[in-house]
Amino acid sequence: MNYEIVEIFAIALFFISLFGLITSKGVIKGIVSMIIMEIAVVMFFLSLGFQTGILPPIGAELGDNVADPLPQALMITAIIIGVAVTAINMTMLIALSRQFKTTEWDILKKKNME
Amino acid sequence: MIYVLLIFWITSAILAIQARKLIRIIVYLAIFSTISAVCFFMFGAPDVAMAEVAVSSFSTVFMIVCFEKYFTLVTDVSPDAPKDLKFRYKLSKILPPVVFTLILAGLFIYFIPEGTVNTYLKDLYLERFRFDVGGENAVTSIYLGFRVYDTLFEALMLLISVVGVAHMSCRSEHEISGENFSGVTKSDSVDVYTIRIICPAMLIFGMYLVLNGHVSAGGGFQGGIAIASFFICRYLIYNVYDVRYGKIMSFEKMTFAAIALLASLFIFLGFYVQFPQIRTAYLISMNMLIAMKVSFGFIIIFYRYIAFERR
Repeated sequence: MNYEIVEIFAIALFFISLFGLITSKGVIKGIVSMIIMEIAVVMFFLSLGFQTGILPPIGAELGDNVADPLPQALMITAIIIGVAVTAINMTMLIALSRQFKTTEWDILKKKNME
Repeated sequence: MIYVLLIFWITSAILAIQARKLIRIIVYLAIFSTISAVCFFMFGAPDVAMAEVAVSSFSTVFMIVCFEKYFTLVTDVSPDAPKDLKFRYKLSKILPPVVFTLILAGLFIYFIPEGTVNTYLKDLYLERFRFDVGGENAVTSIYLGFRVYDTLFEALMLLISVVGVAHMSCRSEHEISGENFSGVTKSDSVDVYTIRIICPAMLIFGMYLVLNGHVSAGGGFQGGIAIASFFICRYLIYNVYDVRYGKIMSFEKMTFAAIALLASLFIFLGFYVQFPQIRTAYLISMNMLIAMKVSFGFIIIFYRYIAFERR
């Protein structure tokens, strides 16, 4: 196993927010956990191959100590898609609270059964 | 240094998950996003850091706007939940998620590949991006040249999300248009004067990011969000709501069509190889189209939230 400490932080935060998503009593906590989960994934991909004093891949002369540009290009699109997902979640939350007057999973389940 | 930042990062995330009041959740999320942007910058990714800062400030504003109407900011997230329960009941609720999460984490750690990270693609891209695509910024060259499919489908995802937000909101377009809302924001306070001064600087900064995206840090997405925040400040200053949805949405769809057309002309039909002298023009125009698309999408999302709020 070949881990940097930075990657361990990102993986730990991913699973903490997964735990928060499972045990959330309301819809808002679920949305917040999903936002945190997405940023943890971004952090994990960017921290691959991290060294102290690493340089961005910009400029005419690139040295040896340069960050990997491929995960960065993918993660920019991932962040934009993440905010799109958050906007959809918020809209569904508002529609839910308008219809059922609550955002608790237990009460929603009971109201759905009736 | 980076480890201290990471400890603060993970602490603020746990606080955001654990907090019970809505305003605290929003504040902890903002702190979390800012610290993660600083971490991205230290990982050598200024583009991602800029995108993260812009997105987090935008989402903070729209979370406040969204929660302000429907929930009170200082109340609990779950006021109806029962507080005093027996310990065994709590344990039986908590234990299965803990076991499930621990099993998943163990599987993840068990299946991680051994050995160092393969740097074949990194070396290839860093060696060839200047001759194959052009520009000085490797990240921009990758998402506009080597992996342009990703950008196309990302723009499609944003378009679908905007259509979904506009579809799921209850009020129709005719109900909204022409109304002048007077509401929470006072248009003569100190904040509004500050915003009036900052506003043009924001627009110029966004345009600089877009036009300079192929030689330095920046690009279409970041500049697009900065330009969108300029138009959002218009609401904060004048406190009016008179955006024409239909036009902006059709503009956004046309911009997406233009992005797809330009990318397919240059990348898939091989204009890139035939005319190497217009590569810079391609990069700049593609960045501008992406910025227009992203800013149209974010303007529609934000004004839909305002339409929700003021009814």
